[in-house]
Amino acid sequence: MNYKISDKAKKVTLGVAIVGLVLLVIGFFQQKEFVYANKIDDHSVEIKYNGHADQDAQNALKESITSKLTGYDIEIHDANHGHNEHATNDDSHGHHGPTFLWNIHFKHAENHSSLIGSHESGADILIDKVNNGEISFFDNGFRRFWSNLLVNGFFFFGIALGALFYLALHYATESGWGVVLLRIFEGIMSAMPIGIGVLLVVFLAGSFGAHHIYPWMDSDLLDPNSSHFDPIIYGKKAYLNLPFFWIRVVAYFTTFYLFLKWFKKKSKEQDEIGGTESHFKMYRRGALFLVFFAVFSSTMSWDFIMSIDTHWFSTLFGWYVFSGIWLSGMIMVMMITLYLRKGGFLPNVNESHIHDVGKWMFALSFLWSYLWFSQFMLIWYSNIPEEVIYFTERIENYKLLFFGTFIVNFFFPMVFFMSRDTKRSAGFLIVIGLIIFIGHWFDVFNMVMPGTLFDQWEIGLLEIGMFLMFLGVFVFTVLNAISKSPLLQKNHPFLEESKHHEY
Amino acid sequence: MADKVIFAMYDDDDKLMDGAKHLVANKVKVSDVYSPMPLHGIDSIIGVEPTRLAITAFMYGLTGTMLAIIGIRYMMIIDWPMNIGGKPNFSLKENMLSFVPIFFEFTVLCAAHGMAITYLIRNKTLPGMPPRNPDPRTTDDKFVMEIKTSDNAHVSEKDLSKLIKDTGFIEIEEKSIL
Repeated sequence: MNYKISDKAKKVTLGVAIVGLVLLVIGFFQQKEFVYANKIDDHSVEIKYNGHADQDAQNALKESITSKLTGYDIEIHDANHGHNEHATNDDSHGHHGPTFLWNIHFKHAENHSSLIGSHESGADILIDKVNNGEISFFDNGFRRFWSNLLVNGFFFFGIALGALFYLALHYATESGWGVVLLRIFEGIMSAMPIGIGVLLVVFLAGSFGAHHIYPWMDSDLLDPNSSHFDPIIYGKKAYLNLPFFWIRVVAYFTTFYLFLKWFKKKSKEQDEIGGTESHFKMYRRGALFLVFFAVFSSTMSWDFIMSIDTHWFSTLFGWYVFSGIWLSGMIMVMMITLYLRKGGFLPNVNESHIHDVGKWMFALSFLWSYLWFSQFMLIWYSNIPEEVIYFTERIENYKLLFFGTFIVNFFFPMVFFMSRDTKRSAGFLIVIGLIIFIGHWFDVFNMVMPGTLFDQWEIGLLEIGMFLMFLGVFVFTVLNAISKSPLLQKNHPFLEESKHHEY
Repeated sequence: MADKVIFAMYDDDDKLMDGAKHLVANKVKVSDVYSPMPLHGIDSIIGVEPTRLAITAFMYGLTGTMLAIIGIRYMMIIDWPMNIGGKPNFSLKENMLSFVPIFFEFTVLCAAHGMAITYLIRNKTLPGMPPRNPDPRTTDDKFVMEIKTSDNAHVSEKDLSKLIKDTGFIEIEEKSIL
């Protein structure tokens, strides 16, 4: 049966994308670099800033503080004086203490109304103004924007890659049950160019110094004569250097894309000419893809994600990222299948197929949780400084998100998908599936943000908008790709087995 | 009242399945089936209720988790706090993560053993128990269907033997039990 993307689906997906774009644009122009305020007592406040700001920008901020606190007589001391000269490179990210640290003293309140008990003190007003962004810098490096682009690019690239991987696995193992779903896998992997394109933009911008997501791209850190010289990154430069990085990036993307195209071409060919010849070709090519994927999925996650925290390493990281990719891919397959089935386009998909994809969601959630915990527990327990810094940052600044992601992504599938009936119920699958889908977006968020934004992250319009935009465009592309070919591989040798699949 | 048990033997699992379907369709109650391997779908044909073993497994697992938490709390926190790797040894909550593998292993241990023992007791197949198997050949390549006359009082003896004959058994045995 042929599926044609309906006008409603078009409107909804593109609508979500446009709403996302609007939120993104609003968020983009609102993004500020965080300035921190700590209240010492009612008469003094400490102001701290970690980003790049020259003397003019600092003076402008001082003026803005003075002008926004009319009625108070304040004095600004530079408490950070001389601090930069003593900066060491021990810090895991090569950021050398705060750019400035001011102590602001309120000599006495000229405004007598502030003496009335209920009125906020000048210190509180200043802290409020700092916290709500009135006193802050515009983010000139667009760190937040680039980091989000990487998060979403990688997440949606991962979904497409997960589908491609599963398709190859299905052929390589000569499975029969999922034949009626294969066109959905093909549709999802067709959206891979979105992720590839976005990631390429991020890497290109990084290579030309537009952002500093990857510290090792900064040649200053590799120069022994520079004050920013980083011996650990220098030691890794045989692997982490721009030419080799680009060779790898091109190798990954071309390999994945060529396999993707080839699988789609062969399956179309099989529809036309039938027989088992193309099936066996795909069987062999599927196994070959798995060989490439085994290596590339690991090295890819080191290159794209782990090298953000350049000093840190974990041998489990590739598997951990891969399990997340695979799971997000399976959730997307489930959602699209349920959507198409509800529209009556998949007459051959029965409860057992839904149950099996549900089992994958259940099992892969456990795989992911197992790897997450194995990586975390061993490093946390052994407490070796150079390793544990990765989790220290996350627990200090991302505590709720870090543990929350694990709890949601582990306990929700465990509790709700343990029973046979819930794995067959569309309602459960959609609600829990969406929750863990967003949970895995946050998982990628947790992998990227602590290394790029440190403690200055937030979930604002920019994050939500960009996620919605990507989601809308991705789902639209997938549905569009699915409309281009029949939903059933009518000449697949295992078609009958799949039609009568029953568990 | 003396009860008679009829054991009909088949040399093919499909024949037994079709026979069981035929008998059940004629309102004969088949009380059990003996087979060297699992026959998928036979339980719903002869009307065996779904197993509750999964529920017991969950309860044994939960018991294991709780025992592990209580035990570790007593051993590692209260009775003899041990300093391992400088981790906090005075609070279960803060040191919880290092005990997760033990919680997990003990949960699995209790669930697996509890489930296996329950299974053996429920099936009366604990080691040393008298065998219930009517014919040792059902552990090799034969399949036996067990029909009790007391279950089938609503079917006349003549009809019953005719229905059973239709199923194409290779051997039949009748036993009286008191």
